Amino acid sequence: MSIIKVEGLTKDYGDGRGIFDINLEVNEGEIFGYVGTNGSGKTTTIRNMLGFVYPDKGKIDIGGLDPAVSSAELMKKVSYIPGEIAFPNLKTGADFLKLQAEYSGITDYSRMNYIADKLGLDTTADLKRMSKGMKQKTAIVAAFMSDRDIMILDEPTTGLDPLMRDVFIELINEEKKKGRTVFLSGHIFEELEEVCDRVAMLKDGRIIDVINMYELRHSSDRNFEVVFESAQAANTFKEAFDGAYAQGNSVFVALPSKRTDELFKTLKQFKVLQIHEKHTTLEEVFMKDYDL
Amino acid sequence: MNTTTKTAKYFSWPLMKQTIRSNRALTAAIMIVMILMCIVISVARNMMLSGSSDSASSTTFMAYLYALLSQGELYDYNQLMSGAYDSYSAIFAALGKGYSLEAFKELAATLMEEGTHDTYLSMFEYTVTVNGTTGIFGNTLNLNEYMALMMESIGMSSDLLTNMEGIDMSSMLNQMYYTIMGILPLLVYIVVVGNGLIASQVDRGSMAYVLSTPTKRSAVVITQAIYMIVVPFIMITITCIVKIAMSAGLSGDPDAAVTIMLYFGMYILIEAMAGLCYLGSCLFNRSSKSMAFGGGLTVWFFLASLLGMFGSDNLVQMGMGVEILGVFNNLTLIGLFDIESIATIGSEAVDYAFVWKLVILFVIAVAAYIAGAVRFTKKDLPL
Repeated sequence: MSIIKVEGLTKDYGDGRGIFDINLEVNEGEIFGYVGTNGSGKTTTIRNMLGFVYPDKGKIDIGGLDPAVSSAELMKKVSYIPGEIAFPNLKTGADFLKLQAEYSGITDYSRMNYIADKLGLDTTADLKRMSKGMKQKTAIVAAFMSDRDIMILDEPTTGLDPLMRDVFIELINEEKKKGRTVFLSGHIFEELEEVCDRVAMLKDGRIIDVINMYELRHSSDRNFEVVFESAQAANTFKEAFDGAYAQGNSVFVALPSKRTDELFKTLKQFKVLQIHEKHTTLEEVFMKDYDL
Repeated sequence: MNTTTKTAKYFSWPLMKQTIRSNRALTAAIMIVMILMCIVISVARNMMLSGSSDSASSTTFMAYLYALLSQGELYDYNQLMSGAYDSYSAIFAALGKGYSLEAFKELAATLMEEGTHDTYLSMFEYTVTVNGTTGIFGNTLNLNEYMALMMESIGMSSDLLTNMEGIDMSSMLNQMYYTIMGILPLLVYIVVVGNGLIASQVDRGSMAYVLSTPTKRSAVVITQAIYMIVVPFIMITITCIVKIAMSAGLSGDPDAAVTIMLYFGMYILIEAMAGLCYLGSCLFNRSSKSMAFGGGLTVWFFLASLLGMFGSDNLVQMGMGVEILGVFNNLTLIGLFDIESIATIGSEAVDYAFVWKLVILFVIAVAAYIAGAVRFTKKDLPL
């Protein structure tokens, strides 16, 4: 089932830079997030996956191909958005996109136009005068128009405004519906949270955690914050309920979902001002993993 | 979706189109400069060649004047100036030896037109008056000696005058054109384009868009090498055609064999240097380093060739060169472009030294292209 398989991938640039013993498995149809701070090795991993850089150790298998050997063959299955957008020396966005289509043997521009329309991209604009956001949109169109099974996207939403980011997420979800696999690096947690099935966390070139977003969203553990009238009431409740800790007149409760009923029964005896459930965010997990 | 995806292994048309498009403006500008330079040099060379015929006509003119003098005819300066030569008719007829009034008149008219008539006349006057006269110190005066003394008094070698006659101005002009001025635009071209073909695209990251399509790295290097091999060839061929047409139009003698060989040699030379620029472009991921390599070598070769020219026989004889500077001709690839031996083509004694020199340049070009291409297919790319 796994379509991307990375085993023991190491690329050592010296001075502790590089990536070390990366193991990844991305399943077909999965949207896989790849997060880490700047310089943690996201782009290095991606360059190895595309065959731009040859690994020191380890191997990569993408759709049955080794990128270090048959990168060009691989590109029939993979579309790519580079982390750094720099276009060739051409006049307009349309010139560039048409040339990209030609490289990939695309003769039908309907999908290109569809995506450009969706992103509200004016392809007649001068490539060199484009804003960062427009360049990013152009790169997105170039990657999505080739309609390939695997997408490897290096920080694809850089420079997009929140509105366009939503359109982009919509596009990713469309791809998911078609059964496409997406490997997505980034550092904006909300958008990864929204689309990814799993997210791997990278720190100093090593994977420190792989989070299953489904489990995160539908965790069997529940977190609640309850606000009482006074600190005294909060303390009394803390004594009465196992697994709670007080802070001022608030109490934080972490409990398995099957104890939810017990919580409410206990709360009946108190005067409660507010209660809300707190979801664990990817960012919180990240902060915890990173020891920040 | 209508996709017909084929893997480009050895050549990529879209990449060639992209390369042509992104270098269009520079190519056109360099082409115009080359053609203009070629036209200017052709015209200059033609003027130089027609100028050199003067010495022959001046000798004949002088001969006529001496003839008049030897006949004891008191030379009438005003009569000569006004062009009323008729009274000499009898004298020339008496002289025989092909002297005739008609020829003399014609010659005088030509010199008038050139504006040298009065110069020769005055020269004749000085020579006849001064030569052989005894000076105040009792020496027999001689005008040539006087000239040499004058040169010495201003710090120039007195050999200069004799040497001047031996200098082949047109071969010097050739040297200057084919090894310095004519190639300069092409050198700028290969340095800029060489860097742009690979290194700058890797540095900027735009190469990612080529390599994220089914295009092998081998297709990239071969396509770019073909551009670097074919485009200078076309540019030089066009310039060569212009040169031959100009020579044919100006002097009626296109001298095609030598000209074609000179431009062919120039092409091989440019390719050797283009190969090195291409190699730098393939070796380095940073545009600045590739530029430093290709540009640095090219500038060095050019400057060394310029210094070497000041050590060439022609300039040394003219007193403008220093022989030791000739060493620099051995420190530049341009020194392997032996235009003097190429110029012997068509003469009885053809000097084939240029052949092995061009073979060396050719080998350098091939080696550089291959080394660059192989390196690029194997190295890590920061894309």
